[in-house]
Amino acid sequence: MSDNLKKKADKRMSLGEAVAELVKDNSVLSFSGMGGAQCVAQTYEVIRQRRKNITLIGDSPCEAGDLLAGAGVLKKMEIAFCAYAVAGLGDNFRRAVEKGIPHKIEVEDYSNYTIGLRFLAGAINIPYIPSKSLLGSDLPKYNKNIKIDKDPYSGEPISLLPAAHPDVAIVHVSRADMRGNGQMFGFSSNAENMARAAKHTILTCEEIVSTDEIRKFGNLTIVPEYCVDAVVELPYACHPWNMPFAYAYDIPFHSKQLAQFKTREGFEQWINEWCFSLKDHEAYLEKVGYKRLNDLARIERKFCKLNY
Amino acid sequence: MENTKYAEDYSLSEFLVTASARELNDNETIFAGVGIPTLGALLAKLTHAKNAIIATECGGIGPQPKRIMLGIGDNPGVEDCLIATSLWRLFSDQQRGYFDVGMLGGAQVDKYGNLNSTTIFGDGDYYTPATRLPGSGGANDIASSAKRTLIMIPLQKRRFLERVDYVSSPGYLEGYDSREKVGLSRGGPSSIITNKCIFRFDPVSKEAYLDSVHPGVTVEEVCNEVSWDLKVSPDVKITEPPTVEQLTLIRMLDPNQLYTGDGLKNITFEKYIDMLENSLLSF
Repeated sequence: MSDNLKKKADKRMSLGEAVAELVKDNSVLSFSGMGGAQCVAQTYEVIRQRRKNITLIGDSPCEAGDLLAGAGVLKKMEIAFCAYAVAGLGDNFRRAVEKGIPHKIEVEDYSNYTIGLRFLAGAINIPYIPSKSLLGSDLPKYNKNIKIDKDPYSGEPISLLPAAHPDVAIVHVSRADMRGNGQMFGFSSNAENMARAAKHTILTCEEIVSTDEIRKFGNLTIVPEYCVDAVVELPYACHPWNMPFAYAYDIPFHSKQLAQFKTREGFEQWINEWCFSLKDHEAYLEKVGYKRLNDLARIERKFCKLNY
Repeated sequence: MENTKYAEDYSLSEFLVTASARELNDNETIFAGVGIPTLGALLAKLTHAKNAIIATECGGIGPQPKRIMLGIGDNPGVEDCLIATSLWRLFSDQQRGYFDVGMLGGAQVDKYGNLNSTTIFGDGDYYTPATRLPGSGGANDIASSAKRTLIMIPLQKRRFLERVDYVSSPGYLEGYDSREKVGLSRGGPSSIITNKCIFRFDPVSKEAYLDSVHPGVTVEEVCNEVSWDLKVSPDVKITEPPTVEQLTLIRMLDPNQLYTGDGLKNITFEKYIDMLENSLLSF
């Protein structure tokens, strides 16, 4: 694989092609999103292609972390949080860490900000970055990659975090052109730095637009084309999570899903029904139903209006 | 506030929403936490803290949402917001010292307000714990850098410990000046809000003491649910109940009791969409 992908004028691929081409076994992966705007379709595709021994680096990759843990894709997680926030706990994550089901996963605990700083350090190409977080807590005690040191200028205590350079970042934005300039309406979590820090970046978007459209609002661009290897149009990629200015959170769907995740058998049924039995994300959307998806989009537009 | 009309019929959760809202002041920058405190922050913003700026971890600063916010990455976090930005930028503003108050929860808390939201060892340890919890998330950062934090946690003996299994979020560590000594130059918890009472912290020893009990709760009841020899304020107050206005707003924000009841378990998609359709858009 070469950097030539990054220089292409048209980087459009299907999600299946992008994952097949770029995501390898034993690699380090990161997904954008935090709370909302999470990469759900992208996670299902990695599972569908049966990747193994993946290390996941992320702030709070709830859906990716829990689904990949349950599907046996992960070797290690460098994370701050894994649960479904208001909807419930990450039962797959818990089963893996507590009981080794389906197998044991090594966990390195960070905080959201310090994971964000690790991506920032990766994005600006420095080996590590200091922070005022983590001091006095037990995170450094059990995570040897967090160093507590002295600021060489003032002598004050400071924590040091290693830069993160994922092999592949999968980053979801509101819209992008086919060259890979990605724009985000609403919050952007760690997407901008993840895309720059990674060796390869798959940029997925709700909608592909023209480069002229991108140029109208350059300040919305969070990912530049020169760090992107593949562009995938992927509407409703975050369902059941929310995507700002696009669709509301489908928490009733999540409640049902998580109730089923309470048991290992329930999860296995779910992943067969919603991932392996479906050929791609389009099939997932058809199964969810476009009436339901349209309702979520209509509600979002009522509260978050765009004037572009 | 002599003319304040207090509500008579309210649930415990509704009571806790108002208790957390009361800890927030106008013009403050508030780092919203998950669950009941989120509703507390929204309630404060609609009542006595209209100029407060709410910040959500995903990168939304200063939203004025007209619907319930289901988590810290929900779209209401950027609804009519001042800034939609990135996670590291928002947290950096906090590390710089711009955030007045953060809201935290956890599974265990100790007498110095240290919080555990990472792991319960049981008979095991960090590597093979009895219970693996979600992890710090942004809590460690908030506990390290916000000017003060509010802790919300149910009062139970197994949660209120002499020392937590694992410090995810630093409170006052070992008390006195131990927080400053590790390099945390500001902050620390100002209160612990529970289902039965509110604790505050001694300004010198930094140990938690009982400050107020909720209506109908006795001091003895509280002491029985704490694992250490609890210090009690010489004039324990009764926590102020919700006002009629507060209760009305809570029920408009959360009519299906997603936060204030067990509505999440059985809400249908149709009821959910209907709730959002009829939210506070005309408020």
